[in-house]
Amino acid sequence: MSSIVATQGLRFAYGDLVALDDVSIDVPPGRIGLVGANGAGKTTLLKLLLGVLSPADGSVDVLGHRVPDDAIAVRSRVGWMPEGDCLPPDQTAADFLIYAAELGGLPTRAARQRASDVLTIVGLHEERFRSMGEFSTGMQQRAKLAQAIVHDPDLVLLDEPTAGLDPEGREEMLDLVTRLEEFEIDAVISSHVLTDIERTCDWVVMLDGGSVLRSGPLTDLSTTEEVELHVIGDAAAVEASLAAHAEVRRDGDELVVVAPGLDAFALVRDALVTADAGVRRLGAKRTTLEDIFLAEGGDDA
Amino acid sequence: MPEGVVFDLGYTPYDGPRSGRGGARWALYRDGLRRVLGLRRKARRKVLPALLLAGALLPAVIYVAVGIVAGELDAAAELFGHPEYFDLTGAISLVFIALAASELIVPDRVNGTMSLYASRPLTGDDYVLMRAASLATVVFAFVWLPHVFLYVGRAWTANEGLGSYATGNLDTLWQTALASAVYLVAYGSVGLLVASLSSRPSVAAAVFLAVVTISGPTTGSLVDNDIPVAGLGALQHHPGHVKDWIMDSSTHLWIPERAEYEPIVSLIAIGVVAVACGLVVRARSRNAA
Repeated sequence: MSSIVATQGLRFAYGDLVALDDVSIDVPPGRIGLVGANGAGKTTLLKLLLGVLSPADGSVDVLGHRVPDDAIAVRSRVGWMPEGDCLPPDQTAADFLIYAAELGGLPTRAARQRASDVLTIVGLHEERFRSMGEFSTGMQQRAKLAQAIVHDPDLVLLDEPTAGLDPEGREEMLDLVTRLEEFEIDAVISSHVLTDIERTCDWVVMLDGGSVLRSGPLTDLSTTEEVELHVIGDAAAVEASLAAHAEVRRDGDELVVVAPGLDAFALVRDALVTADAGVRRLGAKRTTLEDIFLAEGGDDA
Repeated sequence: MPEGVVFDLGYTPYDGPRSGRGGARWALYRDGLRRVLGLRRKARRKVLPALLLAGALLPAVIYVAVGIVAGELDAAAELFGHPEYFDLTGAISLVFIALAASELIVPDRVNGTMSLYASRPLTGDDYVLMRAASLATVVFAFVWLPHVFLYVGRAWTANEGLGSYATGNLDTLWQTALASAVYLVAYGSVGLLVASLSSRPSVAAAVFLAVVTISGPTTGSLVDNDIPVAGLGALQHHPGHVKDWIMDSSTHLWIPERAEYEPIVSLIAIGVVAVACGLVVRARSRNAA
């Protein structure tokens, strides 16, 4: 599996302010979440991937091309949805999408067809002849996503795609982002909303203060070595029985059992029998990105 | 009862040809043309360019029409030659360039569209060159078209016949084309510079017009007070001075002329200002991305 983005010892600073320091990641195709608090370096990293910024040190490879040296080749295959405004308010969505597709190198006829198709996909087909200055925030975000994929890139970089959206608009945007997999478009999605990343991505890169806290698959966050349960009966007795084999945290009738290298479910079963207790709820503890972020010393995102 | 069915055609990947950087440049250039002329924009965006073009063409239209009716074109030619006509079209082109340059550059930066260009196969230099090319195309056409109209009108109504007039006055075509290019470079470069430093199109247009028009009387009074070097700063008068040189005419006592600068000096001044403006616009566009 070849990586879509690889950086090695990447460093970038705005004057004296170090935005990224020794960032080394190697991420596979798919939907990649880039999380971190505001100022963690997410947008800077995306701009380095586009070749808009040049690294002070280290290397950046995107889709097998070194940037910024080969930035033109990368930009021919990449789409970009910036966090801020990028839509001319006096242009219709249809005209702008055609233009965006042509800027991506598509012939005019194909650009027209793609613009129409993509506007349908993002739910703006009915609004295609309206000036974008009249669009709501949600419609503008969808138009921004449309321009990012209208030239059928291999990879899109989405910078805070749900920023400023109401709950309904956020759901629609996350659905569209999830559908990118169906379109066979890989994506790097920057967000400070951890639940958005958990919902849409299969790999996560966590940034904090310009450094990488973690880069790995989201599936690693679930484990059978750590379970949580709600005890019916003597929770203290269950805790005592488990304590001989595993680390146990108890909060009233709620227990969290951590048993590295062991089958936590089997330990819980035996402890419940020993303590003659029942269980109301039992399941693998789902470690959230927030848990990891806080555990590894990140700022609260 | 018939039922409607909605088909989700889904996403169709594009596997056709891609024209890469060349296609992106061409798209940028064509967008510039449309934007300057107000095409694919609301009607009010088309009104001013159309009015200005009509204003520039009107004298030639009236002149030719009167000539056709009265049959006295040849007699009037001395009063309304191409060099004199340049003084009018050059002045109107100032307003046109003020509007066109600001409309080309300012919205991209204010609306954040520069970040879109940064994600397409384009460089910062591509952006500046293509925007300048769009402006150059439209402004050149704006300045030269009235002269072509006048030339054709004269040829059509000439006593010696169309063919004889056209072949006997071919020099007029290249002279007016060259002079149009001089006006374009002189004013267009300053227009782009001012636009690259402004955050509102209307402000950019106003500042450009103020800078260029005020340069005339200001430098004129300095030249008249024995500071001839001030003549180099007469932005509005350099192209006229060079135009008279190209067309071997003298329609006006231009300020650089009053400061006793040769036309070649005016041409060099235009070139220096254009290069300096181009460098600033280039730097600004890179920062905006």
